[in-house]
Amino acid sequence: MWKDIGGREAGQIRPNSFANRVKSHRLSTLQLSNYKDIVSPHKGSINSLQVDLTEERYLLSGASDSSVAVYDVQRATDYEGGGHIAKHRSVFVVDKQHEHGHKYAISSAIWYPVDTGLFVTGSYDHYVKVWDTNCTRVVMNFKMPGKVYRTAMSPLAASHMLIAAGTEDVQVRLCDIASGAISQTLSGHRDGIMTVEWSTSSEWILVTGGCDGAIRFWDIRRAGCFRVLDQSQSQLGRRPPLLKRKRPGYKFVRNGPLVASMMVSISKSLSAGQNSSVKPRAPQKRSANGNGVRQSSVGRIPAKGSVRQRLHPGMLSSQDRATAHYGAVTGLKVTEDGMYLLSAGSDSRIRLWDVESGRNTLVNFETVRLQTSKPIQLATTQDPAVVFVPCMTAVKAFDIWSGKTCLTFRGHYEHVNCCCFSSQDQELYTGGNDRQILVWCPSRLISDGVDAGPMQDQDNWSD
Amino acid sequence: MKNDTNSDSSKPKKRRRDEEIEAESSSSDRTLSLEENLTFSDTLVALRIMRAQFPHIDKVSIRPFILQSQLYSSVNDRTQVDRELESLRRERVLRVFKLNTGQDDHAIMFLDDYLNQIECVVKRMEEKKQVNLEVFEWFQTHVLDSKLEPSVGHEELVSGSDCSLLSIVGKVKDEHISLLINAGILTRQLIDPDMYWFAIPNIGSVLKGLSQGRKEIISFLNRRKYKEMMLALLEKKHLRFSPLDMRFHLRDLIGSGHLKTIHTPTGLVVQISKD
Repeated sequence: MWKDIGGREAGQIRPNSFANRVKSHRLSTLQLSNYKDIVSPHKGSINSLQVDLTEERYLLSGASDSSVAVYDVQRATDYEGGGHIAKHRSVFVVDKQHEHGHKYAISSAIWYPVDTGLFVTGSYDHYVKVWDTNCTRVVMNFKMPGKVYRTAMSPLAASHMLIAAGTEDVQVRLCDIASGAISQTLSGHRDGIMTVEWSTSSEWILVTGGCDGAIRFWDIRRAGCFRVLDQSQSQLGRRPPLLKRKRPGYKFVRNGPLVASMMVSISKSLSAGQNSSVKPRAPQKRSANGNGVRQSSVGRIPAKGSVRQRLHPGMLSSQDRATAHYGAVTGLKVTEDGMYLLSAGSDSRIRLWDVESGRNTLVNFETVRLQTSKPIQLATTQDPAVVFVPCMTAVKAFDIWSGKTCLTFRGHYEHVNCCCFSSQDQELYTGGNDRQILVWCPSRLISDGVDAGPMQDQDNWSD
Repeated sequence: MKNDTNSDSSKPKKRRRDEEIEAESSSSDRTLSLEENLTFSDTLVALRIMRAQFPHIDKVSIRPFILQSQLYSSVNDRTQVDRELESLRRERVLRVFKLNTGQDDHAIMFLDDYLNQIECVVKRMEEKKQVNLEVFEWFQTHVLDSKLEPSVGHEELVSGSDCSLLSIVGKVKDEHISLLINAGILTRQLIDPDMYWFAIPNIGSVLKGLSQGRKEIISFLNRRKYKEMMLALLEKKHLRFSPLDMRFHLRDLIGSGHLKTIHTPTGLVVQISKD
């Protein structure tokens, strides 16, 4: 550590790599915190945790007893244990007694991405409510046709204020805070929708995972989804291999503006830079010919299917039945650079998808069992190196590229539902069915001031 | 000390006598203990060796298959296994089938073995004087070649046929597909009426033995005081309910995560994994 600081001082190590080294070292020493504790007032299992996106200071938790609480994780409310253990009590709690509070379990509680003045909760009582944080009042109410499993707001949104809500109904609904009404419904899934996530690279792209095992990508400016992920379409390696030059008469598939533009750019770069060969990583001995045929499966009108009713071209994707998992999709997470998507399914598999090519990268995460009935919340570090997954009663940290387990966090007494990683402080917060929120911090050296005080007038025996 | 393959021999004389008795009664491929041969370097090597070690089952004539969980316990890096399997699948060296014995169970069979298995089924159907047997030929030459995934849709079967089957039959009709399902080569998917899984024919009793054998091993270990046992001793037990041998089951259970192996100074210990 000191050597690194000296190197940074002398200019041998760049600032970014120095910061990354410190962060990854701290990450590798994560353990149950012995100096920080969050006192949870909830009387039901904790279903959702989120740290606010602007300052990473306030933690919002939603529980099964219809209560929502906010904690300040940077400043403790009081100290115990002779000043060594910081207790963080909730700043405020909203529960069933509140006149406009939820009546049943809260499945999702998220902050308004711009600031902490608002937060949004979704509950099994079919309502999505928008709350004002300072007065703890309900500002807006949206009624959904079924239990709300997940709500999400885009962290990049500059021109819209839409809340995407996934419910047990087959349609995804977008609720608009600006107008107070449900502005859009996206259809295509064939069963309830357990997880909803916005893309971190575009404010218009939404990813949803359903109980039918499909993961769909939606561009909310158009009808229908433009991609359905298929677990059998895979690529060997982090990025797909460079495609061979296509035949001149290759037709672009009606896949949507984004994918078509990607194909145009790939073919242009191929024809332009044939000599400069950028060798792709990982054993890429296979040519992509086998994939080239399958790539155009979405959007192709079956030749013999003309007897079926004519669908709008954007809705053709509803007939695509590709599944990403053999069970329901219970968790989704888009990495912060927007290039990869992690999905957890009730078939106890976690898959890593390349967002641009839409393929399964075949990284095998060693999970034995995952929770199947409730959606789980995954967390990743900022430069996606580690992914934290709640596996039954433990939380496991996997290396995202090789799938090996780096760390296992065992501390909860019952199943863990959600985890949230704060990249600023390298702290992990986990909440589970045992009504506890546990904090996992990098280990801290005990400072000398601890021993000096009470030990002054005692003999220093060696036992 | 005698040249024995087991590393834990604290009582040489007694073990020598045991080994002599073992060597007389057991078949030749038992001389390699599981402990020594648990991991391999490469997926293809692992597949070939496990295919050679496939137990001989008396009543059913079935070609060797390997479970995907067995591969995970045999090669250290699971991602490497997945990727090598994918490239072998694309090269048409082997096929992957989804089994219905549990979550995410897949069976891997070399393509030649699978074609042999289909041939046996076709011969048996010929003896029963079935008609429309050209479907099998079409299936082997065209469907297996173009559809590499474990599942196939109804539309793909029907529409993919007109390019190849016109000379033989005309069009693939429902009776052809029923014939394939009766032979055990295709199975309907429970979730989706339009999709079929590719399946290995005549494998039903073996799969039943597989799930019963798994349960037997897990319950045996659960009844022990510390839920663990030395691998060398566990290997030698005979299973009552499964025609497949102990080594097959152990590789499968270790790979799927139900059992874990711990290195101890006296050898490997197999333990039920909590979680």
